[in-house]
Amino acid sequence: MRWIVFVAAMIVAGGAFAAGEHGLDVNRLEPGSVSQAEGLAAWGRIHDVVSHPRCANCHTDDANVPMWSGPEYEKPGPHGMNINAGESRIGAEFLPCQTCHATSALPNTVPHAAPHAGAPWMLAPVEFVWFGQSENAICEQMRDPERNGGRDGDAMVEHILHDAELRSFITWAFDPGPGREAAPGTLQEHLDDTIRWVAAGMPCPGD
Amino acid sequence: MRLTVNRVQYDIDVEPDMPLLWVLRDELGITGTKYGCGIAQCGACTVHLDGLAVRSCQIPAQAAEGSKIVTIEGLGTPEALHAVQQAWVEHQVAQCGYCQSGQIMQAASLLDTNPDPTDEEIDRVMSGNLCRCGTYPRIRAAVKTAGAKLRGA
Repeated sequence: MRWIVFVAAMIVAGGAFAAGEHGLDVNRLEPGSVSQAEGLAAWGRIHDVVSHPRCANCHTDDANVPMWSGPEYEKPGPHGMNINAGESRIGAEFLPCQTCHATSALPNTVPHAAPHAGAPWMLAPVEFVWFGQSENAICEQMRDPERNGGRDGDAMVEHILHDAELRSFITWAFDPGPGREAAPGTLQEHLDDTIRWVAAGMPCPGD
Repeated sequence: MRLTVNRVQYDIDVEPDMPLLWVLRDELGITGTKYGCGIAQCGACTVHLDGLAVRSCQIPAQAAEGSKIVTIEGLGTPEALHAVQQAWVEHQVAQCGYCQSGQIMQAASLLDTNPDPTDEEIDRVMSGNLCRCGTYPRIRAAVKTAGAKLRGA
């Protein structure tokens, strides 16, 4: 299919983006050095972030439709303009996300404009669905390498650091620009909580 | 900063975050690309960046450096219209015309990757390009005519 070639071309283009410094303090912890209770508390704060509209709006199910939800909207609804990101999750079959969402590490400064980030805009892989999911379901998904991109705990931490180097989506969520509510806390706090959660063995509320 | 627009190289001195639309219109005087909303809500400023339709109001000049930019002026010429431009004339698509350069650039991009789109595919791709005159039925018909011409059908 022609769109598969198109996806590959866009990913290569995105990968060519110059990596920078992540600018974060990495306070690594030994496995088992954090209690279950502290780990669950850290997870609760992680959940506050990942269930926030800045994150969950693009972690949607196999209908491949990004959402518009959050305090900026009267009620949650599908992304305007009849958008469907397709199985490619980057819109290659229809209208690529990058048509409106530029790839740029520059700050978002224009209210109501299509936000941009330092990686090609896309929906998260379909197995990473968060929108409308329970806290425990999201937690189970995030710690399951079969459904989290093959990541163990250390790779989860590296994922955040790599995102910060690119000024990609996680980083954007905490600094989305005027007119959009940021995810709660800071990227540094989110990294610290992830390290705590991993050191506690990635506990979930349903354990 | 050096930009390549319609196969011509331009050396410009602008802030890295100046939107490409501003560069095209105000710095280079290439005004076929229109300003509609400035926030990627209307599609009037659509150009091709390395073959991909993009809203030029959202592309920082810095991000366009090194890429091939094509505007409506570079898609075809009056003597040799692009198939989409020819179909637009045949179907008399334009009413006021303000959005049409963006519509044509988006349609050309659509047909480049999908030369035989269904109605649903046309609607999915073209819904980000607004037309206050409501020329949508003629846009859809012209896209199909252009697709047939490009396929040699």
